[in-house]
Amino acid sequence: AEVEETLKRIQAHRGVIATVVINAEGIPIRTTLDNSTTVQYAGLLHQLTMTARSTVRDIDPQNDLTFLRVRTKKHEIMVAPDKEYLLIVIQNPCE
Amino acid sequence: LQVFDDEGKDVTPHPLFHSDPNTPVPRQGKLLAASAYFGATGSSFLSPLPTHQPSGVNASLGSFSRKRSHLLTSYDFSDMQMRQEEIKEDLTKEDLDRRVDIYLTETETICILDMPSVVVSAGSEDAGRVLERNRNYVDICKKRPGNDRFVDKMMQTINAAAKNKEAQCDKIILEDKGVMATSWDLYDSFHVSEMEPVSKAEGSRATAGKSSKSPTTKEHDQTVSLSSNRGSTTSSIMISESSVLARIHEEEKCHSEAILTSEKFQQDLFFMERILMENIFQPKLAAYRQFPVLTDPDATSNTNGTAAVMKQAKQEEHDSEKKDKEEQKEAFIDPSVLSDLSKTPEEIVPPRLERLWAYVCDLTTGHSVSSMAWSKANLDLVAVGYGAFDFKEQKKGLACCWSLKNPMWPERIFRCEHGVTALDFSMASPNLLAVGMYDGSVAIYNVRSRNAAALLDSSESTNKHTGPVWQLRWVEQDGGATGDGKKERLICISADGRITEWFIQKRLDCTELMTIKRTESKKKKLPGEKERKSEVLLSRQAAGMCFDFHPKDTNFYLVGTEEGLIHQCSRSCREQFLKTHRGHKGPVYKVTWNPFSSDVFLSCSADWSIILWHRDSQAPILTFSSTTAFVHDITWSPKSAFVFAAANESRVEVWDLSVSTFNAVISCFGNPREKFTSALFAKNTDCLLVGDGEGEVIVFELRNLAAPSSNQV
Repeated sequence: AEVEETLKRIQAHRGVIATVVINAEGIPIRTTLDNSTTVQYAGLLHQLTMTARSTVRDIDPQNDLTFLRVRTKKHEIMVAPDKEYLLIVIQNPCE
Repeated sequence: LQVFDDEGKDVTPHPLFHSDPNTPVPRQGKLLAASAYFGATGSSFLSPLPTHQPSGVNASLGSFSRKRSHLLTSYDFSDMQMRQEEIKEDLTKEDLDRRVDIYLTETETICILDMPSVVVSAGSEDAGRVLERNRNYVDICKKRPGNDRFVDKMMQTINAAAKNKEAQCDKIILEDKGVMATSWDLYDSFHVSEMEPVSKAEGSRATAGKSSKSPTTKEHDQTVSLSSNRGSTTSSIMISESSVLARIHEEEKCHSEAILTSEKFQQDLFFMERILMENIFQPKLAAYRQFPVLTDPDATSNTNGTAAVMKQAKQEEHDSEKKDKEEQKEAFIDPSVLSDLSKTPEEIVPPRLERLWAYVCDLTTGHSVSSMAWSKANLDLVAVGYGAFDFKEQKKGLACCWSLKNPMWPERIFRCEHGVTALDFSMASPNLLAVGMYDGSVAIYNVRSRNAAALLDSSESTNKHTGPVWQLRWVEQDGGATGDGKKERLICISADGRITEWFIQKRLDCTELMTIKRTESKKKKLPGEKERKSEVLLSRQAAGMCFDFHPKDTNFYLVGTEEGLIHQCSRSCREQFLKTHRGHKGPVYKVTWNPFSSDVFLSCSADWSIILWHRDSQAPILTFSSTTAFVHDITWSPKSAFVFAAANESRVEVWDLSVSTFNAVISCFGNPREKFTSALFAKNTDCLLVGDGEGEVIVFELRNLAAPSSNQV
């Protein structure tokens, strides 16, 4: 319930373009985009997260990736990775 | 069998041997002998032998010495015939009843394989001989090469014919598997084996990338090194998506539910929200933190000002983009600093309040902010109490803890039965928040837990207040009679005229510190006061509105009452006031000591004025009145001895006594609908928080306020 509330609040925030939650296989659980875009984001960001995690852990195996932010010209993609899921939020930070 | 030739002569060959069917022949011995005999010739005769009767055997034996095998066979044949006849003759009834002796004997040991041992025990008798032979052999071998007595000669072994045998086995299924052994992969594998014996259930969770929490059938193909597997099979994930989507929906549902309800997900959402906030509010937050707010040419918000905020957020991943930003930031500092420098000598910008953001959310609109308090431990956490402003309409109150990191949703929400009128954070245990309510009850909440219930409530206490608790504070007390060190006590003042000190034991209970008695006013008697005087018989207690303990001497405090009087009291003296200050004509809403110059205090009241007093004087030193509106709240600035802020009904004013005592230095109008009800300075930055009647707590930044030159009055 609290999870739902927080998720709704995030989706309703100013500038948030999309919120996507995908599970470990790449299947979207929650998404505010259309299916094809979601699947595209899911696959690509998954790979990026894996590479980022691999990089972090190669440098120090005791370290681990907790958050990933990709700032682009148009918006910012924020990824909170986990073993079981991937939480992706795309925000347009300019007011 | 009889053979006749042409003339009818009986030319049947006579048997050479006529066996005597009547002689009982001991079968045993003959059999043995026969077997021994035949064992020497060949094995083929052994098998038919045991079935023969000894008579037959005898015949064959007799003939064998003279003739060879062919005779034997003929005799065998004839013997068999005879034997068969004999068998027919002999089997009569008596024979069946006759006792037959059967002798069982053991055959001789037949050696099939004899492998003599090549090792001899050192303790046996032959040992010596064997050892000597070995030695001789070794000597011979040594002498052999180059010795004339030994000649090398080639030999060719006969190659026996080779025989090919083919066999076929089941098809061997081959699988290709690729794993990239990264250093962290190795680390993980080592750690798994280490942590497995400790506790399997916990260990599997603790190691990164190992078994997942929700055991569903989908996990069966995930191997131990999950992450490495993923690295090599990411392409397969893309390809198998179609097959994945075709799986049973039930599995998906339970799996996704598990994800959504997992704690980690909640935490991630929490952080995500904070980061979103940071993105949205970044310039404002940077201003709060007193960082220069820079603008990026790419029209995206920069990362400069958020350095401090990021440290607190703890969630940032340093990817390369960030590093680029940091490099860019250094390039930007110069132009903005230059612009700032160029500004100040040219013009003196008037000080003003700049609105940064407002702490407001759906829950709080409609309530009026009654009190605010900073957390003592975390200077970014502010607790705000909401209650209905007019005493007529009392709604359920709310106490919320807002954090700097999320201006759009409070961190904690505590719902209270009645409107909240006062709150304060404890110093000794910074997670305790004491809340005073309109009905006189006091509750203590634990901010650390997400539980919305009060830790302690005073509703069962018998001594509780009967009027609204107008102010409460945690005060540190020097060890008094008990001789302990500094203790912290919760002290409240309420409209029933009592100042109470609360103890936190099993239940929240209080003892009375002081009762405020009505005093007779000796000076001007307004008609309003006259009425009150006549009412003095009804109730001897005056409603207390506010109090403030002296910052240095914790036994000494001021009390402001509804009558307009300010009393100085001491903890040691319960019955009487030390001194009374008269000056206000209306209820005193707030009394505060100047934090820098400790003999001066300020009070504000509903008579539209703010009065500055000195501790020793009875009469006011300075009176500030700027508007015709109730002054609800005043607060001294923590940075300067001369600056204080006041919240009127219609505006917020910041007074700077070093600049002017007649006018407020900054005066900021709010929305005409809203009234400002409380004000609070931020301790670590130049900001002012103002609460209003609509449930908003607006954060203003004080700009261009003159820096304090001296701290003496």
